[in-house]
Amino acid sequence: MKRMQLSLQTSLKRLHTLPAWLTLSLLGLLLLVAIMLGASFGSTPIPLDTILQILLNGTHAFHFARHWDPATEVIVWQYRLPIVVGTALVGAALAVAGTLLQAILRNPLADPFLIGTSSGAALGAAIAFVLPFDTLYGTFFPLTSLLSFIGAIVTIIFVYLLARSGGETPVVTLILAGVVVNTVLVAIQTLLLTLAPHSQFGGITALFDWLSGGVSIVTWSPVVLVAALILPGIVVACCLAGVLDAFGLGEESAAYLGLHVERYKLLIIALASLITAAAVSISGLIGFVGLITPHVMRLLLGPRHRLLLPASAFGGAIFLVLADLLARVVLAPSVLPVGIFTALVGAPFFLFLLKNSKRAYKW
Amino acid sequence: MVESVQSPGQRVAQTAPLLTVEDLTFGYTGQTLLYNVQASVQSGEMVGLLGPNGSGKTTLLRLLSGVLRPQRGHILLDGRELAAWGRRGIAQRIAVVPQELQVPFAFTVEQMVALGRTPFVSVFGTRTSRDREIVREAMHVAEVDGLAERVFNELSGGERQRVMVAMALAQQPRLLLLDEPTSHLDIKYQIEMLELVRRLNREMGMAVIAAMHDLNLAARYFSRLLLFQRGVVADGSPAEVLEPRLLQRVYGVNVQVGVMHGAEHLSVLPPGDPVSLEIAGEVAPKVHLMAGGGSGALMMRALADAQIAFSAGALNIGDSDHTLALRLATEVITEQPFAPISEATRQHLHACLQGSSLLMLCPMPLGPGNLALLQEALAVCQRGVPVLLLLSQNDRTNISLTDDLSSEVLTQLLNTPARDYAHGDGIKLLCQLVAAGARLVASVGEAVEYARRVLVEGDHPGLSV
Repeated sequence: MKRMQLSLQTSLKRLHTLPAWLTLSLLGLLLLVAIMLGASFGSTPIPLDTILQILLNGTHAFHFARHWDPATEVIVWQYRLPIVVGTALVGAALAVAGTLLQAILRNPLADPFLIGTSSGAALGAAIAFVLPFDTLYGTFFPLTSLLSFIGAIVTIIFVYLLARSGGETPVVTLILAGVVVNTVLVAIQTLLLTLAPHSQFGGITALFDWLSGGVSIVTWSPVVLVAALILPGIVVACCLAGVLDAFGLGEESAAYLGLHVERYKLLIIALASLITAAAVSISGLIGFVGLITPHVMRLLLGPRHRLLLPASAFGGAIFLVLADLLARVVLAPSVLPVGIFTALVGAPFFLFLLKNSKRAYKW
Repeated sequence: MVESVQSPGQRVAQTAPLLTVEDLTFGYTGQTLLYNVQASVQSGEMVGLLGPNGSGKTTLLRLLSGVLRPQRGHILLDGRELAAWGRRGIAQRIAVVPQELQVPFAFTVEQMVALGRTPFVSVFGTRTSRDREIVREAMHVAEVDGLAERVFNELSGGERQRVMVAMALAQQPRLLLLDEPTSHLDIKYQIEMLELVRRLNREMGMAVIAAMHDLNLAARYFSRLLLFQRGVVADGSPAEVLEPRLLQRVYGVNVQVGVMHGAEHLSVLPPGDPVSLEIAGEVAPKVHLMAGGGSGALMMRALADAQIAFSAGALNIGDSDHTLALRLATEVITEQPFAPISEATRQHLHACLQGSSLLMLCPMPLGPGNLALLQEALAVCQRGVPVLLLLSQNDRTNISLTDDLSSEVLTQLLNTPARDYAHGDGIKLLCQLVAAGARLVASVGEAVEYARRVLVEGDHPGLSV
């Protein structure tokens, strides 16, 4: 047992010393495998090699003889892949937002929802479920998504303005304002649902599903839209790696190093909130990914954000795709909320790493 | 506010100053903290910033680093308004070493030092080979290259402080601001730290402004001191700034300032009793104490309690009196364990006694090895310097000490309890001392009283009964 622990520690340590490009390539490969696994399982299982061939055919660079049912191809491209890719995007966005907020708030408990995005999005969703109509462009972008996105963004702007005084936005005020606004919005949301007519009851169960989280989309268009926000967001975040490292020394020291602390804080909070809101709009509230993925990656790869940010993006995507897979498979055909599995699988994994890390993890 | 004291001639600028503070006023919400601060620092200067807690030292440093903006007045860097340089521009010229750095992440030392390049690299954080070279050089100068792979959080306070200096060096600043660089460190690291800062100043020509709490270290390492109390109270050399009355006003406490025996720098000492205060600023007259075998413990403690500086010796290493004297006495003359007083030690003692204005002899055991002490004491007594002979505490005689004592009574008195292991030579010398004018004192309290009067009046008061 002791020896096992030791060899694990050395292999964990070796992970630190891998060159960054290799680490990221490995993570990218893992993500591809996870995506294929995710597309493979479902109501009708599709063999992995078939999926691989369908995907490679899709690139037009290869052509495999079609030995499968044409319906399979439709299932993979039109039903499975949008969900799996959407899930990967959501996981990446939440993990990166969590990394950004943990660094800027210097708080190990920070997650994408800490300063108000979750309750804002939830209130937006609740309004959408209570309203008796859908958007004109409902098929393109449903009302729930739209209102939860708007709810999250409006809330974060409100919290930021609330915390701002005398040209500064102290981190502690920001967190407190976020927590208070969260509480108020949850109360409003409960009030709204209590007052809603009982005929809307179906809407309320749907809202419960939404709050537990889970990507349930049936077309590519929302995925494309959300990707258009999340992918550039992650790229910008990775460009800010040096700034985030400097913020690790504290705002005062970051200022001594020549950074405009308040400007960067605003930029980074805006960025984190934007990609969180985008993710939440198609996934509902999926907890734990944004909190734990940055910690896991920091444990494995160290605290430098140049590696940590892209690695968190990959890690969050892999994690959520696998959790979503479990959610669909465990009690198939019924689909469980993915949030259950992020916590049930993620928490033991994190604790395992924490126990086995060589030096005390001072986050 | 206390009026400004500025030394004439000091303010004549040879070249354009690196940093100029003009009429600076600043306060946080409603409370003015700094009033009309005026100062200028040449490049390559090393300035110690002194002032009590809450005097605004840290605020001044934050203003100088550009993190805070003055409400009135100007801070000029190279003749140009500080804010006009921009945050990045300032960070390329001024580096700050904060008092303490809380880093939540497990950054290694090398990664930390590399962050010092932040003002020079793009936001993407791409570092060139030159950046890496500068980082390596900075770690070398601050002597932290051996720690490169260690995690910053796991270092000792002194090592962390050096890493913070290395980080500042990686900024290649022209001005280094340090906020109480020694406050969390033990004496070894305090000295290492200030030696490092002085080396940067002398060898790399870096101007240094350091807020200092320890006046003695400030006097030792800084050629120019700025006494600060919401504004500049005094600005000049340590001798000009460490003026007892000035310090008394600024710190609100009485201190003594002087050059310690054998040192080349000014020292600031905690307040003496009200009497010794009046002689503050001069080298205090010395009391010398001869003891041994534990006979001097009570006396030394009493002198220390009364804030009377004294020298002691010669004492053998391993004697309990020696150990105590090392803690309490200003100067201790030391002899090897169990050895008789050597000629060299006797010379040393002799030299020391030249400066003494009072000699105290404790009822120590006498033997052939330390008769030399009594011979020296006799010489002192014959010079007219007052000598006190402490009688053993456990012989409560009812003989009045002012009476003329018969030699028989005296011998008995001096030899209680029996302490002459030198075949009578010791007692003989003691009697000679009494004959030469040495006074017999029965209690430590009396001796301290007498010492006080000698130190203040400088004459030889009689013992009041």
